[in-house]
Amino acid sequence: MPLSAYLIMSAVLFTIGVIGVLIRRNPLIIFMSIELMLNAVNLSFVALSHFLNTVDGQMLVFLVLTVAAAEVVVGLALIVSIFRSRHNIDVDEMNILRG
Amino acid sequence: MTFETISFIVLAVASTATAIGVIAFKNAVHSALSLILTFLFLALFYLQLQAMFIAIVQILIYAGAIMVLFLFVVTMLASDQNEAELEDHIPWQRAVGGILGLVLVAALSYLLFTGTTAHPTAVNTAESLSSAVARYGNTEAFGLALFHGYLFPFEVTSLLIIVALLGALVFGRRTT
Repeated sequence: MPLSAYLIMSAVLFTIGVIGVLIRRNPLIIFMSIELMLNAVNLSFVALSHFLNTVDGQMLVFLVLTVAAAEVVVGLALIVSIFRSRHNIDVDEMNILRG
Repeated sequence: MTFETISFIVLAVASTATAIGVIAFKNAVHSALSLILTFLFLALFYLQLQAMFIAIVQILIYAGAIMVLFLFVVTMLASDQNEAELEDHIPWQRAVGGILGLVLVAALSYLLFTGTTAHPTAVNTAESLSSAVARYGNTEAFGLALFHGYLFPFEVTSLLIIVALLGALVFGRRTT
């Protein structure tokens, strides 16, 4: 398969993640859409690493995986603490910072 | 139609379907399970691209650790959230989101069709990946690059993990 097939696959998955962030209001599903976006970029990294015959793409995927894991930990802890104080996690209701 | 083409088409259709399932299911647990399937199909993509170590790490870390965390939190918070998705506060939100998504995929695909060349540019020097894989094997080639060229980022990620752990402890603490 040519390189552009993998890059188009990555673009489609990234766009599905973007649509998920735009239209869903449950922050857990917004988080899952962000993880989908990160995975789409991982796919393009690995595809370019294969087609340029270098290991740097796979190395960056390794680092992106680690950063994504750390981000999920902190983000989920944040969501749980919001739920504990407000008993509601709908992002449209999170408006107390609005001036 | 080689086996590679058939497997790419099957994996592409399957991963797109499960990705749409992530954003389309009303129940958050169904979305999480659909995302696990997407990760599995992406790991099969990585296998097809000869990235063996990354494929296994993807399954271990994403499907094995991150999604377990997600499912913990989803099942803890899910009981009263099923009814919240039925009414939209902004009535045109889904339509505009869909249209913007189509614009984004059209823009990205346009760049791909007009910008890149479609043939692989193989770098056949002594340090290229295929020569290292042929000499040492796939995971060893990755490990050699990790501990020779990328040692400092590797150590920095361990610092990042400690910071994230501290953040989770601070957020998870009961303040009573």
